[in-house]
Amino acid sequence: MRGIYRAVGVVAASALALTLSACGGDDSGDDSEAGLTVFGCNPENPLVPQNTAETCGGDPQDLTVAKLIHYDVENAAPEYDIAESIETKDNQNFTVKIKPDYKFSDGTAVTAESFVKAWNYAAWGPNAYQANYFFEPFAGYGAMQCVPPENVELGEEEDPCAKYPPTDKDEALDGLKVVDETTFTIQTTEKVSNLEVRLGYTAFAPLPESFFEDPEAFGEKPVGAGPYQVDEWTKNEEIVLSKNPEYSGEFPGIEDKITFRIYENAEAAYADLQAGNLDVINQIPTDSLIDDKWLSDLDDRGTSRPVGVTQTIGINPVADKSLDNPDLRKAISMAIDRQTVIDQIFAGTREPATGWVSPVVDGFKAGACGEWCNYDPEAAKKLWDSAGGYDGALTLAVNNDSDHGPWAEAACNSIRQALDVECTVDLSRDFATFLTDLGEGKIKGMFRQGWQMDYPSIENFLVPLYSAGASSNYYGPYDNPEFEELTRKAAAAPDLDQANALYQQAEALLSEDMRIIPLWYATGQAGWSDRVQGEVAINAFGVPDYRNVELN
Amino acid sequence: MTDTADAALVPHASDEVNDARPVSAEAWRSLRANPLFWISATLILVFVLMAAWPSLFTTLDPRTSVLAEARRGPSSEHWFGQDRQGYDLYTRCIYGARASILVGLTATIGTSVVGVTLGLIAGYMGGWVDAVISRFAEIFFGIPLLLGAIIILQSVSFGNSYFAIVGQVAAVLIVLGWPSIFRLMRSAVIQVKPQEYVQAARALGCSPLRIARSHILPNALGPVIVVSTINLGVFISAEAALSFLGIGLRPPTVSWGVMISDGAGAMQSAPHGLLFPSLFLSLAVLAFIMLGDAIRDAFDPKSK
Repeated sequence: MRGIYRAVGVVAASALALTLSACGGDDSGDDSEAGLTVFGCNPENPLVPQNTAETCGGDPQDLTVAKLIHYDVENAAPEYDIAESIETKDNQNFTVKIKPDYKFSDGTAVTAESFVKAWNYAAWGPNAYQANYFFEPFAGYGAMQCVPPENVELGEEEDPCAKYPPTDKDEALDGLKVVDETTFTIQTTEKVSNLEVRLGYTAFAPLPESFFEDPEAFGEKPVGAGPYQVDEWTKNEEIVLSKNPEYSGEFPGIEDKITFRIYENAEAAYADLQAGNLDVINQIPTDSLIDDKWLSDLDDRGTSRPVGVTQTIGINPVADKSLDNPDLRKAISMAIDRQTVIDQIFAGTREPATGWVSPVVDGFKAGACGEWCNYDPEAAKKLWDSAGGYDGALTLAVNNDSDHGPWAEAACNSIRQALDVECTVDLSRDFATFLTDLGEGKIKGMFRQGWQMDYPSIENFLVPLYSAGASSNYYGPYDNPEFEELTRKAAAAPDLDQANALYQQAEALLSEDMRIIPLWYATGQAGWSDRVQGEVAINAFGVPDYRNVELN
Repeated sequence: MTDTADAALVPHASDEVNDARPVSAEAWRSLRANPLFWISATLILVFVLMAAWPSLFTTLDPRTSVLAEARRGPSSEHWFGQDRQGYDLYTRCIYGARASILVGLTATIGTSVVGVTLGLIAGYMGGWVDAVISRFAEIFFGIPLLLGAIIILQSVSFGNSYFAIVGQVAAVLIVLGWPSIFRLMRSAVIQVKPQEYVQAARALGCSPLRIARSHILPNALGPVIVVSTINLGVFISAEAALSFLGIGLRPPTVSWGVMISDGAGAMQSAPHGLLFPSLFLSLAVLAFIMLGDAIRDAFDPKSK
C-alpha cells in the first residue's frame, strides 16, 4: 500500500510539474566551470535521508549519503559499504561491525552511535519521519509509535501524538544496542533473512552529531558520509555537490562537481539537454517517447532499463463470487496482449511481466507465471468457456486521479475481444476511495494494483503484498498456508540464496490461484548530452549512476 | 430581401380581415425564406439521423479496437484514421453524435419545462409566490456553470449504465441552466398579462389555469423557443467541456468530448485524433446556433 501510494505520488508530482512552467534552468551553463549538470527537481522536504521518500530529494542524497550496504548499479546486489561485517546466527539477532576509517564530510568519524541515534530518531513516532515504517521489524518499534486505541476515531487534522504519546520512555528502539565505537547489535521481532539487503536504503544512513543539535539547519545543508557533499542548495534553482574531501570508501565519484539543476517540467529539461545546457536527464517527455523519437533526437544518447516497479490486476474472489474459479482468472490473464498495450499505450516503456517480482531485484527468477502470462486468445477463450464464463459485464476498476484510463481501456478491449465478454473500465473512484473500497471488499471484478519496491529483494514483492495479514492484501484476502509456511521458512533461512530459493517457490504458488495477474514491469530512461563520455547507467531505482559519469 | 415587403404587408392584411394570423404561422413563412435555416436544418437532420441510426453511416462497431494499428492516419479503410486505442475514428465520430445530441436535447427540454412552468407561475401569480421562486432561481443563477457542474458531478453518481451517465450530465445542465429560461419566461408573461385579450378572458370568467394555458403561454413562448434552440448548441459544447475535463461522459460512452480529451494527449504524433471529433462538435454547435438565429429572426422581425 505504501509502495502504491508513492508510485502514485510520483505520477501526481510529475503531472503537476507538467502543468507548471519552468522557473529555473534558463541560465545557460558555462561548461568548463559547471562540471556535470544533471536534471533535478524541488525536494519535498529538507535533505534529511530519513525524511526523504521521493526522487527529487533522493537523487542528490544518493551521492552525499553512505550506508552500511551499497547496491550494485547493474543487478542491485548488496555489497558492504560502511559495514565491515553483518553477522547473525538466527536471523533475529544481528551484530554489525563498521569500518573504522569512515568520516562525515564535516570531518567527524562515523561510529556505531551515528547509526543507532539516527535510527532511533527516525523511528520515534512524534518526529513523523517518512522512513519511519522501515524500522517496523526492529524490536521495540511498537512502543515508539503514537497509536490511538482502536475504538477512538481521530479527526483528519488531529495529531495522534498529542493525546496518545508513545509508551517508550527513552525514545530508543529496544532492539538497537551500541557495543563499542564500531560495533552495534540489532534485534528484530520476527526472523528476517534479508536484513542486509534492506540496510542499503537511505533510511538506514548514519547521521553526524551536528544533526541532533539542529535538525532544521542540517536539512538545508546536510552532512553525509558519501562520495559527494552538498556545497549549496539554492531553492528552486540548483543543488550543487562537490567531492567529499574526507571520503575514504570504495565508491568514489569521477567528476569534481555535480549540479542538480531544478526544473519544474520534463519538457524544459529535455529542451535544455538538446541545446547542450544540461548533461543528463532521467525523465523523457511522454510525447517524445512515442516511436522512440527521443532516441533519434539525441542521436542514440539514451538508455532504458527495467526498474523496481510492477503493475498487476487484482481480483477478489470473495467479493466477486462469479470469479471464484481460478481458470477464469487464468483465462483473463492469457487474454491480455501485454506487448501491444506496452507498445501502443506506453510507447514501449514497460516490459511484459512473467511473474510477480521485478527483474531488477536480488532473487528474481523469470517465468514464475508460466504460460498464464503469455497472450493466447484461443487458449484463453477455450479455458474461459470450459470454466463457465462470467455473467454480465466485467469491470476493471482504476483510480481516476492518475493517468490509468488509457491502458485500462486497452487491457479491457483485449479481454473483451479475446473472451467475448463485456469489459468496461470503472473510473469512478479517486485513490483514497479506491483503497477504502478495496479494503472493505466493495470492488467486484478486476482492479489495478501497483508496487514500487522499498529495497531490492524478492521478499519486498511478496510478503508485504500477499501474506495473509499484509495491509494491502486486497485479494480476499489471499491466505495460502503453503505460501505462509514458505515465506516463514525463507525468513529463517541461514543464507540469502536459500531464502531466495524459498521465496521463489512461494512466488510460484501465486500462479495456481491467479488472484493477482501480473501485467508489466516499469522501465526507467536516461538521456545525455554529447559532452558525456560513453554511456550513462541507470540503477534499479531508476536513478542514473551520476557517480560514474565522465565528461569529455 | 422580399421579406421586408411581406412584413409590411402582413399586419395590414390581418387588420383588414380582423383575424390575426398566429405568430407561429408567420414565423414559419419567414423561416422558409431564410437560407440559414435550411443549411442548419439539413445539418441537424444529418446529426439526428446519426444519433438515431448510426448504422446508416457505418458498418463498423465503435468498440472494435485493433490496438496494433493505434494512431494510424486516414486511409481508404479508415477514413479518419485510428485513435490511440486503435478504434476507427470515423465510426466513433458517428456514434459520438448520439451522446452529444441526447445530452443537448434532454438538457434543453428539461430546462424549458422547468423554466417555462416556474416562469409562468411566477409571472402570472406575482406577489410573494413570484418573490420566492425568483430568489430560488437566483441561487442557481449565481453558480457558474462549469464550477457547479464539476462539484455536482464529482459528488453525485447515478450509476454506470449508458443512460445513467448521459442522464447525470443532462441533469446537471438542467439544474444549473433552468434559471435563464425561467427569467425569460417570467418577463414575457408579465408583458403579456396586461394585454386586452387576457383581461377579456378574465372578464368572461375563465379559470386562471385556462387563461395561463391558452392565452398567456402561447403568446409568451416565442423568446423561450429561440433561446432554447441556441442553448442546445451551448449544452452540447458544455457536455464536451465537462467530458474533456474527465467528469462528464466517460468511457465506454462514446462522445465527442471524450474523443477530444483522448486525442489531445497525442496531439503531436496523431493530430487526426483531435481534429475530426472537434470538427463534428463545431459543426453540431454551429448548426444549432444558426438555427436559433434563424428562428429569432423569424419571431422578431425588428431584429432584421
